[in-house]
Amino acid sequence: MLIELNPKQLKLRDELQEYFEGLFTPELKAELNLPEYFEGGGPEFKKAMRTMGSDGWIGLSWKKELGGKELSPIEQYIFVETIMRTGFPFPFLTTESVGPMIAEHGSEWAKEEIATKILKGEIIFGIGYSEPNSGTDLASLQTKAIKDNDGFLINGQKMWTSLANFSDYIWLATRTDFEVKNHKGISMFIVPTNDPGFSMSAINTLGDVRTNATFYDNIHVPDSHLVGKLNQGWSLITSQLNLERLALVNHGPVEELYKDVLKTAQATKINNDQYLSDLSWVKHNFAQIHSGIEALKLICWKQTWIMESGQLNMAEASVAKVYGSEFFIEAYRLMMEIIGELSILKNNSEFRILNARLERMYRTASILTFGGGTNEVQRDIIAMAGLLMPRTR
Amino acid sequence: MDFSEQPHQTEIRDSLNKILSEHCSQECLKKYDSGFKHDEDLFSLLSGNGYLGLGINEKYGGSGEDLYDLGILFERLGYHAAPLSLSGCLVDVAQTIQKFNSDSSCNKILGSIIAGEIYTSAILEPSNQDPENPATSALIEGNELIISGTKYLSELASIAKNILVSVNSDEGVLLVLVKSDQVKLTELSSTANSPLFKVDLESVRVDRKSIIHEKGKGLEALRYLLQINMVMRSYFALGVNEKMTSLIASYTSEREQFGRVIGTFQAVSHRAANCFIDLECHRLVNQQASIKLNTSLDCENDALVSKIWAANTSHRTSYSAQHLHGGMGVDKDYVLWRYCLLAKECELINGSASQNIDRLGINITTNQ
Ligand SMILES: Cc1cc2nc3c(=O)[nH]c(=O)nc-3n(C[C@H](O)[C@H](O)[C@H](O)COP(=O)(O)OP(=O)(O)OC[C@H]3O[C@@H](n4cnc5c(N)ncnc54)[C@H](O)[C@@H]3O)c2cc1C
Repeated sequence: MLIELNPKQLKLRDELQEYFEGLFTPELKAELNLPEYFEGGGPEFKKAMRTMGSDGWIGLSWKKELGGKELSPIEQYIFVETIMRTGFPFPFLTTESVGPMIAEHGSEWAKEEIATKILKGEIIFGIGYSEPNSGTDLASLQTKAIKDNDGFLINGQKMWTSLANFSDYIWLATRTDFEVKNHKGISMFIVPTNDPGFSMSAINTLGDVRTNATFYDNIHVPDSHLVGKLNQGWSLITSQLNLERLALVNHGPVEELYKDVLKTAQATKINNDQYLSDLSWVKHNFAQIHSGIEALKLICWKQTWIMESGQLNMAEASVAKVYGSEFFIEAYRLMMEIIGELSILKNNSEFRILNARLERMYRTASILTFGGGTNEVQRDIIAMAGLLMPRTR
Repeated sequence: MDFSEQPHQTEIRDSLNKILSEHCSQECLKKYDSGFKHDEDLFSLLSGNGYLGLGINEKYGGSGEDLYDLGILFERLGYHAAPLSLSGCLVDVAQTIQKFNSDSSCNKILGSIIAGEIYTSAILEPSNQDPENPATSALIEGNELIISGTKYLSELASIAKNILVSVNSDEGVLLVLVKSDQVKLTELSSTANSPLFKVDLESVRVDRKSIIHEKGKGLEALRYLLQINMVMRSYFALGVNEKMTSLIASYTSEREQFGRVIGTFQAVSHRAANCFIDLECHRLVNQQASIKLNTSLDCENDALVSKIWAANTSHRTSYSAQHLHGGMGVDKDYVLWRYCLLAKECELINGSASQNIDRLGINITTNQ
């Protein structure tokens, strides 16, 4: 047994760290502090994406023959970790899940026009899965694509289409067969957001993350915009979600925050002869966070190690998702407890601590517990696949 | 033993619900998501209808000293997410003065509070973990005090004429009323947009008469203030948690996925039931603490138990509610999100669960 990164992987991490430090110009940093650009989409963000594209840092997971780097899962994990530690809103979904699927299953047009531009950092996708009545039960989606002579006519509504406000295309899940079982009648399309039939309205959320309701009104797309075979979209969706899950619970960002809170506590005087970190309950909180992060890191590493050998273990993937998403909530709470009342102050306030990062993080933390496959369903999977218990319900 | 409310208490709850639900619709609350969060009209209405006299003795024009009555007010303010921050005025100032001041100024101050004049307090200090030992100090010079220090999280300080501050001096801890035009105020921006201020006192001179308690009673008065503040803020949290739990119940009874109402999934109904259990525990320890404070000026451990339950219940209920709602829970067009922000403030103001558990543990093991 060996539980550590090897020299090559450590070198990759250093290389990436150095690269991102260079990429993070003061202009980019300033832009990412503006609420409207938290998730990217601004001019500096676009510039950085193109630079990464031309430097070959997009398409890590893609096969070499498709123009990618074909990094191993652990190397990909290191990439995600390093970039997330910087806080750059890298559009992983576009570059690492939608991109390779289009490169593999797309039409000639899609491969040439879309996949290559994704690799160059020129195109961003929004993910159009959820609908008002189809969230956890995604397979019940109702947005329809009807075949006509030279393509498909698309009509329907999506909910929570993040990034739609600055993306070029929507990776859209539609129903193309109404006669068969739910998941057997779904097809995936590339839908341009500049089509006159496309519109959206903003949804503002607790975490100040903007997302959108998107509307598809008689949008006509040619056959070349279908990805994969007709009515075979469900397997594209599920393999995409499987890939996404591990990236969601990467231990990098929470560890970064923990280190900063620790430094803050060690430097904060609470009276003439004591620092915040001298208090026994504060030590206790830090120990809890630390032991939680260690477990998360190992769960994720083990998961990538399993993936390297080509087996995807359902139960362990769900363990990572449930544990990670719930641990984040706990860790932010424990950190806010340490900082105390000061941690409720916002970024524009006097006395704010660490640019009020905790104040923002606690407001976004719940999304991961229900997004990406709600935790109840993940627990069902763990009981079934991990413990071989009978299916619930 | 009797856990039932008296008829007049149920009446207070019902009529407050009526007033507050009219003034705290989504449309009304939206106006206070940014800017100064204080609904003047609602405040006047509460004052006009005598609600600011809850918990205040009849001899001062109030409706009786029962702190449970006052608790109902805070509980309802929380339940409706009302844009009113009144614990500085109605709790810290009014209650401490009522209990520790026996001269004529007491009569005057309580009378004007009931009539709608806003007083506030400035007790907490950034990074000071022990509010019983303020870093803000008062130099005593003859009949004058010269006060210097920095306070924060003072509610509504910009519209209060008088601010009650806690200070350390050669005579020990003192609670002193200072005029707000003698201090420097800076508005802070908090997660729930509460009207909180930093208060800088730079050699503020006040007359000895501004001390609100008898000589030698300062620490006792401050301890009482801190405890009753904890308990009343916990009532506010109770209302917040009750509302979030009822939103869980109503939403999961209607939302369908997989062709069934999500509340019929056992994992969902059990998590909702856990919120109900938390809420019941929180309510009971809160009631016990306020009833004890009716007859005792010092019941720190009960106040701590109440605060610990308030903090834990606020945290757990907020995340359960968000989770069980899915995306709807974080959508600012739906009602839940404001409660999640308030829950975080309830959890952390007056110290977190971890901090107060530590304190309670010390008290218990040293037989205090
Ligand atoms: C900020 C944000 C960004 C998002 N971005 C995107 C995006 O870019 N693209 C996209 O397509 N979607 C996006 N989503 C949507 C997200 O994927 C959904 O919120 C998620 O799938 C859950 O669906 P729902 O919100 O409809 O909740 P519901 O499906 O209504 O579920 C609510 C709760 O019901 C319970 N529940 C449901 N089913 C079961 C079950 N079988 N067993 C037990 N309990 C159950 C769970 O507690 C669950 O959390 C985003 C959401 C948010 C909030």
